[in-house]
Amino acid sequence: MMPNAAVGVFIVSMIVLVWLLQTREFDQQMAALARDVQWAEQTLRLHLQGDREFLQELAHEASDGQLASARFKDRSAQYLAINPHLSRIDWIDADKSIREAVTAASAVHEAGGPLAHPEQLEGFLALHGLDRPVYTKAYSSSHFGPSFEILVPVRRGPDFMGAMVAEYTVSGILGYLVPAWFSEKYHLALSGEGGQLLAQNAVAHPRNEDLDYSLDFDPPGNGVQMHVTAYRTDTSFAKELPILLIAGLSLLVVWSLWSLRNNLARRIRAEDALRAESHFRKAMEESMPTGMCAIDMHGHITYVNAAFCNMVGYAPQELIGAAAPYPYWSPEDQAQHARTLQRTLAGEVPRGGIESRLRRKSGGLFDARIYEAPLVDASGRQAGWMASVHDITEQRRARAELEASHQRFMTVLDGLDAAIYVASLDADEILFANKAFKNIYGYDAVGRNCWQVTSACHPDPARFIAAARQLAPHQTPLELHEAELQNGLNGHWYQLRERAIQWVDGRVVRMEIATDITDRMKMQELNSQQLERLQQTSRLITMGEMASSLAHELNQPLSAIANYNMGCVNRLQAKDFRPEELLAAMQKASVQAERAGKIIRRVRDFVKKSEPNRGPVQIAEIIEEVIGFAEIEARKAGVRVSISISPELPAAFADKLMIEQVVLNLVKNGIEAMHDTPRKARELAIRARANGKDFIEVNVADRGHGVLVETAEKLFTPFYTTKPEGMGMGLNICRSIIEFHHGRLWTVANPGGGSVFSFTLPVNSL
Amino acid sequence: MTEPKVHIVDDDEAMRDSLKWLLESHGLEVELYASGDAFLAAFNSNFRGCLVLDVRMPGMNGLDLHSQLQARHSTLPVIFITGHGDVPMAVSALKKGAVDFIEKPFNDLDMLRLIQSCLSQDSAAAAARAESESVAQRLQRLTQREREVLALIVAGKLNKQIADELGISIKTVEVHRSRVMEKMGANSVAELVQLALRSHG
Repeated sequence: MMPNAAVGVFIVSMIVLVWLLQTREFDQQMAALARDVQWAEQTLRLHLQGDREFLQELAHEASDGQLASARFKDRSAQYLAINPHLSRIDWIDADKSIREAVTAASAVHEAGGPLAHPEQLEGFLALHGLDRPVYTKAYSSSHFGPSFEILVPVRRGPDFMGAMVAEYTVSGILGYLVPAWFSEKYHLALSGEGGQLLAQNAVAHPRNEDLDYSLDFDPPGNGVQMHVTAYRTDTSFAKELPILLIAGLSLLVVWSLWSLRNNLARRIRAEDALRAESHFRKAMEESMPTGMCAIDMHGHITYVNAAFCNMVGYAPQELIGAAAPYPYWSPEDQAQHARTLQRTLAGEVPRGGIESRLRRKSGGLFDARIYEAPLVDASGRQAGWMASVHDITEQRRARAELEASHQRFMTVLDGLDAAIYVASLDADEILFANKAFKNIYGYDAVGRNCWQVTSACHPDPARFIAAARQLAPHQTPLELHEAELQNGLNGHWYQLRERAIQWVDGRVVRMEIATDITDRMKMQELNSQQLERLQQTSRLITMGEMASSLAHELNQPLSAIANYNMGCVNRLQAKDFRPEELLAAMQKASVQAERAGKIIRRVRDFVKKSEPNRGPVQIAEIIEEVIGFAEIEARKAGVRVSISISPELPAAFADKLMIEQVVLNLVKNGIEAMHDTPRKARELAIRARANGKDFIEVNVADRGHGVLVETAEKLFTPFYTTKPEGMGMGLNICRSIIEFHHGRLWTVANPGGGSVFSFTLPVNSL
Repeated sequence: MTEPKVHIVDDDEAMRDSLKWLLESHGLEVELYASGDAFLAAFNSNFRGCLVLDVRMPGMNGLDLHSQLQARHSTLPVIFITGHGDVPMAVSALKKGAVDFIEKPFNDLDMLRLIQSCLSQDSAAAAARAESESVAQRLQRLTQREREVLALIVAGKLNKQIADELGISIKTVEVHRSRVMEKMGANSVAELVQLALRSHG
């Protein structure tokens, strides 16, 4: 602040000083100008006075009658010759006629002529009543430019006898009466009445309009004014020097003040930073758990920090200045401590520090690791040693515990039947493998490439490795992949679970847990065999149920055939017939016979017993055949059946007959479920579409009584039924069939009433 | 009054057509309907003959149609055709007043016999209906006093008792009595009473 203000005040005072200097200079010039002008005016007046006196002398002689024409001409010519500012001298009579005239240049003015200018006449008339000379107003003479005249009366006693007249040219006055030095220095201009410019000396230089002086030029008076303006003088170096010096010095001072200010600010900042640094170091020292202890080159303690005091239980003043043996040395290790100190002072400092046993003031012992570093003073000379002391008792205990827990962990992992290994994600190197894993793949597995080691049994890494490599540690643990595979080496089946976990060193790694599921797989196989047998049974049961419907359906064409037939017989017996009539009836009868044949063929196809035979099958075909079969029942129950199949649905990989059985079962269930539904609402919707790119989904939706959530799962258990005459095997077998195909069968409520049974089948990928 | 016809309602076209063919060979008039709705649309109370109904049909089934007809006071005799296993249904239909049922496939003679019996039942009923209608018309022709006299005759009162009850002379009662006998077309008191009872029954 202060430097800024000082700089400001300084600049202002310098400006004022320069201004004062300039003003004084100007005043001096003005004074010189006034003086010079007055001098010039004085000179002019003296000349004009001389001229008047000369004319008065002539007038005097004329009034005495002593003046002859020759004398007048002589004297006038002489006078004109030495006074070039005058152009003419006239002797004028009282009757205004020019008696005699003498001119400086060629005579224009003839003697005896009248007065040429009104100003002359005006001046002449003014003379009558006066006894003193009169100056005329300025007028423009044809030869000499602006001019004026002085008229001196010639009187004898009271009689007016004429006048002596001299004509001044204004340019002559400026050219001859004003001295040369004045013209050099100033611009001089004469202006007449009304301010019009009469004459001016040659404009030689630019003018300094500030230095300007005006005064009345009297005589001749009559409003003639003289204007003097100084020429702009070349600024002389000498004159400007002080100002330049002042400006230069000012800049120098401002610059130095400015740099002083910056310097000051830098210093304040540096001091602040130093203070902060010192606080920071202090805090660091206080908070540091590491004990610090400095000794000089003779082994005297020169410094201890708070942590060290806390560690050993002594106050700083108890320690500083102490020499070996120090109070915190444990008594039984005194000799070793002393040896270590000797070596340290000799400069033999082990890089990894020294472990030693120290004693607290309270008597307890603790393990510490001590690192020594040379203490170098500002001049670069070693002043002693700085020891950093770490209490490693806790660390030792933790390490021991960690080892124990690691041991337990290893025991547990090795005790597991599941084979577990951990591999890095970047190099796929096995970091850890448990005993079960090593039993399968060999004891040298750790450190090798996991895919090579587990080549007999591993899931396709492309399916999860790339995703796993993107994981950040906080996203773990995360299940990556699960697969069931057979190991080519031992023929066992394994369930492989890939997980991303965070490894002991913090990075994300992959852990594979391979559980032996061979027994389970065997059980499953056994189950599916049993189910297959069960399914054959169920097929027979379903067939029995269908037989009744079929019998009913067969009645239709058979009755029609009988009717046509008997109609023909009757007509033939009565001999009342037209042959074409009989022909038509018999043809109709054979159409009905064909219809009966078709029904029977459908039964035969259905009954045809066959082993599960999976292959590509079109779902549309299956649904079509089932509907051909079930429409009898649907019609009987007054149920409308709608079918919607996505176009370009891929073929499923399935056993056609088994899936037909499932669809038929679901359709039949749906029809039966709508027994109590109003006829108009009885609608069964069958839909098939893709479910992802690997599965086909089929839905059978009814408008029946629906399935309660709590019974939804029970539906699929054996011997559960909601039907009075059901066996409770249908849905269970359906589910078994679908699961045999690696699909899924489930039920949900149909929005708006009823239920939807759905199943999926794998797409044929052969 | 329309001609007696066999009305057949069956959803199966072949079934319908073949039945018509069969019954026509026996000289019967046959009318076919593809559904219960189609029959109801055509139905009026002048229908004569009998109705052959398939029990199982999509939309309105045979039993539904039967109840609808009963609601319209139809007297048309109904024969149900049932399939295998529909016997319980047929029984309930019988309880509701159907004439009979016949199980598919049926013997054409059985069917014919059933239809014949239905037709004769229908014509008998029609005759009875016609007579009761004519009695009612005759009753309409009686005066108020004659109707009072008839009521007392039917109640078994003697002429004297009737005269006392109505406050008229026996002679007048006798005149009324002979007028009633004449108007009603009865030859004896017993016939008169029978006619009067039929008209009320």
